Amino acid sequence: MLEKEKVALRIQQIRSSSKQTPFLWKVLLDWNSIQFAIGLILILIAAVSPLFLKADYFLNILILTILYAYVGLAWNIVGGYAGLLLFGFIPFFGLGAYTTVILLNHYLISPWAGIFIGMIPAVLLALLIAFLTLRYGLKEDYFLLFTMAVMVVLSLVFSKLKIAGGAIGISISFVQSSFERMVFIERAPYLYISLVLLFLGLVVNFLVARSKLGRYLVAIRENEDGAKALGVNISLYKTYALLISAALNALAGGFYMVYTTFIDPLLVFGGPFNFELLIAPIIGGRGTVIGPILGAILNKPMVELVRGYFSISRAGTTLIIYGLFLMVFIIFLPRGVAGLLEPLYRRIRQRTIARLNVAQGTATIQSDTE
Amino acid sequence: MNVSILLQTLINGIFLGGVYALVAIGLTLVYGVMMIVNFAHADFLMLGLYLAYWSFVLAGIQPYIAMFIIIVIFFLIGILLQKVLIKPVLSAPVINQVLLTLGLSSFIVGLVQFFWRAEPRSLILPYSSNSIAIGDVVLNIPRLIAFVVSLVVALFLYQFLSHTKTGKAIRACSQSRRAAALMGINVNRIYMLVLGIGLALAGLAGALLSPNYPMSPTVGSTFSFTAFVIVVLGSMGNFMGAFFGAMIIGIAESFGGLLIGGELKQLVSMLIFIFVLLLRPGGLFGGKNA
Repeated sequence: MLEKEKVALRIQQIRSSSKQTPFLWKVLLDWNSIQFAIGLILILIAAVSPLFLKADYFLNILILTILYAYVGLAWNIVGGYAGLLLFGFIPFFGLGAYTTVILLNHYLISPWAGIFIGMIPAVLLALLIAFLTLRYGLKEDYFLLFTMAVMVVLSLVFSKLKIAGGAIGISISFVQSSFERMVFIERAPYLYISLVLLFLGLVVNFLVARSKLGRYLVAIRENEDGAKALGVNISLYKTYALLISAALNALAGGFYMVYTTFIDPLLVFGGPFNFELLIAPIIGGRGTVIGPILGAILNKPMVELVRGYFSISRAGTTLIIYGLFLMVFIIFLPRGVAGLLEPLYRRIRQRTIARLNVAQGTATIQSDTE
Repeated sequence: MNVSILLQTLINGIFLGGVYALVAIGLTLVYGVMMIVNFAHADFLMLGLYLAYWSFVLAGIQPYIAMFIIIVIFFLIGILLQKVLIKPVLSAPVINQVLLTLGLSSFIVGLVQFFWRAEPRSLILPYSSNSIAIGDVVLNIPRLIAFVVSLVVALFLYQFLSHTKTGKAIRACSQSRRAAALMGINVNRIYMLVLGIGLALAGLAGALLSPNYPMSPTVGSTFSFTAFVIVVLGSMGNFMGAFFGAMIIGIAESFGGLLIGGELKQLVSMLIFIFVLLLRPGGLFGGKNA
């Protein structure tokens, strides 16, 4: 025990003495920073991958993996840190996608702007949901059912909406490659756009994890009554989390629209896609910076390869994999892959610092505290 | 619009409500006793439909005989599920329980799609569309049978819960798991029983619907949502609430289909649902007393 306390003290000292300690030390001593660094490394690897991944088939899988990781990061704020049972997450994605394509097809507004404008309806919907549910403090399983009902209502509404192409769906006409319309023949530009998104998602998650907001959210998740008693405005912070997640997800929807060039209401407001998008953060680790990225890497490429192997004639393979993933992870590894890595990291840090302390002797610790 | 159309719509709604009631009672029983929101519940209705279909196509067994086999099989599946899947997450956060049952649901749907294909099928029997007419109102025989059986089963179950020793033990578990355990009730066994009954009811509903209901692997998701609407409407965990909620939703969907067209009839139950959640999140029938 004494040894442990010494180590904790030492970590505290290294952190607080901001001028003397090198940057690297501060990164290595902080789990969130480590996760952020791993995320950056993965982004770099993906960025150079076109050098050796030539086939469009594999690049497509890579881009989808990145997109899923990004949506996972977006959901992570509200579903991971805040722990809200926001199961119907896809409405924000769908609104982003529809805004982008309607603006392009009917008003000739470039997706470069349209993707960002798509955040507006998503945020408005998030505000509506927050207004309707959070002020009543709707019980968590009821909140989940409510968000699913929103999904169904939106899919019915959009299947009747003329400007959105109705039930048939809507597509971007693909004539020739054009930077302005965000239409490219090669896959590489899409890869870099998706990587920029992923970087954004990573940064937002990292900042939230370190900020007061993130701490409040975790406090609310772990003990709502306790947080309330300490004066945390629960509804307000949950709303913040919902807004951030909704806005980030709308960007993903806009990108998905220009990348796949076709959507219909049953896809972008439908259960199966929604379900798919939530797998990554859940198996990767909810409420961690790196979790959604690890989760996406773990499931998306495998699912695509299996689906390719069984071809279209055998539907259901993805559902079987997702189902197994969910059941196995919830029973054996409920905190996901990142939840497995964190204790490992802490043990290594403990051991390293302890060894350093022995090397430096206890005298330094005492002189530092003075 | 004349009276006979309205009457016909009402009858259709009540018949639909009868089958909904079977699904919803199982769901609300599982929720009320075990506090588990089971998203895979309605997928067992889908499995019931398919089992009735296959037992007729492969072995020539009539659905009304197959339903007894289905009840037994599903009861055993329920016991197994409680042992393998539900028990480890009983005291986990709600989100984990929800994700687990969602995973189970996705797994079942995936397996059915994989082995039996995603295309819709229907079971066509000589009596599928037989009906009797009372005045201007036409009663479809299979739907009538489904309604009567649902009613009988619901009444039987109600009597079981309120008068037998096991039924009282189940209600004790729903009030407090710990207190029930301290009184010498084997909670784990009660949970197995409850999940078994719940799934058997869903499977029975599937078998009863099979003579004239088109089946596809995703049919569970439509029923799942309706069942949740009913259960919330009738207050989660309330047996009679689920029954009357089912009638309300059945009739509302039936009239919704008449007024705004079949494809939008889901919107009716969805709007009822949203309003109930927002205005009376405790449901119309209050409290939980299974």
